[in-house]
Amino acid sequence: MRNSWVEEFWQLVFVILLGTVLGLLVGHLWPALTAFLLAYTIGNLYKLQRLIHWLNDPAGGEIPVHFGTWGTIYARIARMRSGHHQRERRLNQLLGEFQASAAALPDATVALGEDGEIRWFNKAAKDLLKLRSPEDLGQPLVNLFRAPELTQYLAKGDFTGPLDISAPGETQRKLSIRVTKYGSGERLLLAQDITDRIMAEQVRRDFVGNVSHELRTPLTVISGFIENMQLARDEIPVNWEKPVELVAQQTTRMRSIVDDLLLLTRLESSGIGEPSAHIDMAALIETIAAEGRLLAGPELPIKVEIRSQSCLAGDAGLLRSAFTNLLVNAIQYTPDEGHITLVWDGSVRGCVFSVQDTGEGIPAEHLPRLTERFYRADAGRSRERGGTGLGLAIVKQILQQHEARLEIESKVGRGSRFSCIFPQERCLAHEQ
Amino acid sequence: MLIAGQNMDNSEISQHYSQQFNADLEEIRTNVLSMGGLVEQQLGKAIDSLRLSEGVKAEEVVANDYKVNAFDVDIDERCTKILALRQPTASDLRLVLTVIKTTADLERIGDEAKRVARMALRNGTSDTGSNLYLRIEHLGEQVREMLHRALDSFARMDVEEAIAVAHEDRKIDREYESIMRQSMTYMMEDPRSIPLLMDIIWSARALERVGDRCCNICEYVIYFVKGKDVRHTSLEQIQKEFGE
Repeated sequence: MRNSWVEEFWQLVFVILLGTVLGLLVGHLWPALTAFLLAYTIGNLYKLQRLIHWLNDPAGGEIPVHFGTWGTIYARIARMRSGHHQRERRLNQLLGEFQASAAALPDATVALGEDGEIRWFNKAAKDLLKLRSPEDLGQPLVNLFRAPELTQYLAKGDFTGPLDISAPGETQRKLSIRVTKYGSGERLLLAQDITDRIMAEQVRRDFVGNVSHELRTPLTVISGFIENMQLARDEIPVNWEKPVELVAQQTTRMRSIVDDLLLLTRLESSGIGEPSAHIDMAALIETIAAEGRLLAGPELPIKVEIRSQSCLAGDAGLLRSAFTNLLVNAIQYTPDEGHITLVWDGSVRGCVFSVQDTGEGIPAEHLPRLTERFYRADAGRSRERGGTGLGLAIVKQILQQHEARLEIESKVGRGSRFSCIFPQERCLAHEQ
Repeated sequence: MLIAGQNMDNSEISQHYSQQFNADLEEIRTNVLSMGGLVEQQLGKAIDSLRLSEGVKAEEVVANDYKVNAFDVDIDERCTKILALRQPTASDLRLVLTVIKTTADLERIGDEAKRVARMALRNGTSDTGSNLYLRIEHLGEQVREMLHRALDSFARMDVEEAIAVAHEDRKIDREYESIMRQSMTYMMEDPRSIPLLMDIIWSARALERVGDRCCNICEYVIYFVKGKDVRHTSLEQIQKEFGE
């Protein structure tokens, strides 16, 4: 650094000295000195011009000047340039490695730009989504994968749940699509082939449905004969009376289990229903409560609180059986001194139907598994009360069909609250 | 300095204009393809409803036809606006013309799908024509694939693919003729089956028309890319001129 300044200084001194000596020899000191300094300045300007020229050349090339301040400037710029190149190479290598690993992902992966254009995709996307490289880059994905559901899904921008649709051009193949946002408006789309999974689910569902259906015929025959036997009571020996009654009870129970299983299978295979009818919730809840009062008797008061006037879009028959199911559960698990409250409420996040009781409550560890089929928090007792073990599973399935979810809060000894939370789209203003 | 600043502003505005124009053109193209996706779905459901006698799907097709029509009206309006405001030339003009013609054909394909769905609704399950339903299903699958490929070639503006798709139409015509012949034999055997067979013939006819409309879309693609109108030209001639 200092060296270069010293060199520069001596260079200037040399120019001035030479000018002075020559000027003195010729006898015109000042013009000669001026001429020399002018030449010196022009020289510097020329070097400046060469520097710009050198910088404009992307390849860089040989450093033109090694001497003085100019030399230092060139050397430092050259060093910066080579460092920059190295960084670029390292980044490129990293990017290459990353793309290679992403390309090896088993799920089809597509990076989408702000306007939904394809920026990059991996090998699996070529096979599953029939994309071509490189001619499809820059094209909006929805131009090639034209399922209306996907277009809606991407436009809506709510990527909490996956989207299950057919693969483009292959109706038999089902894909599960997930989308994640990243950066400023970019999105990453992952598509997984779930044909096998859906097939397996279908097989399981069909199996349960077929078994229940096959069980129904023998059960009908058995219960028919049992009823006959019960009618002809004087013909059977006294010590067989009790067993026959038990068989009759158990057959009825088994029939209701089979019926519930069939209902569940039917609900599972029907998918999400279009919001069809408008249900006047206030009227529906009053009817359910009236039926409940008949079942519960005068010792167990059932209150109704209608806090919202909104209607609900959905299947009235199914929802009614779901709500009744929750109420019957509450009646069964609430002792006579307690009370039950049915609430219909609306809020920003949707509308809520809830059944609140002052019953014995459910221990917290059972809550997450309560809606599983045949799951019992207290096995012996619930069977005594005649449940099939499928009630809450059916409720959950009906709610799923209405895009709603079931929330259960409970404290042992204090009571429980079962809430059905419906999305805003299904809550409609009351029609006058 | 001042002049330079003004220049920069001007160029920015003109760039903004052409960018907006490009975005408009890109948008109508994407709209056509969204419409195509909907029509594909409608046709698929209509064919499924033939095979599985799924009344629900057939009803959906009939109920959703208004969406296709809405797309048609919307895209036409956008095209009119572009023609009036931008006065496009060369490939931009060809794109707008291609879009207008393609939407018209897509709308008709939607109508044919609705027709097939109505036929499926009317007949429900019946055994007499089951063999023919199988044939028609095969025809349906071919037509569905053809529409998919035609729209792919539109999305990629791929002339080679367009020519290949246009070739497919020959197969569909042959399939249609064989269904016709078979139906006639059935009719002669058993005159009571005529009402059902008429419906089958009409469905086959509708599907065959869809194939023709897919061909039209491919011709528009060739028109857009090559700038030459190839309608009413034989396939061999098209291939000689543009195919490799």
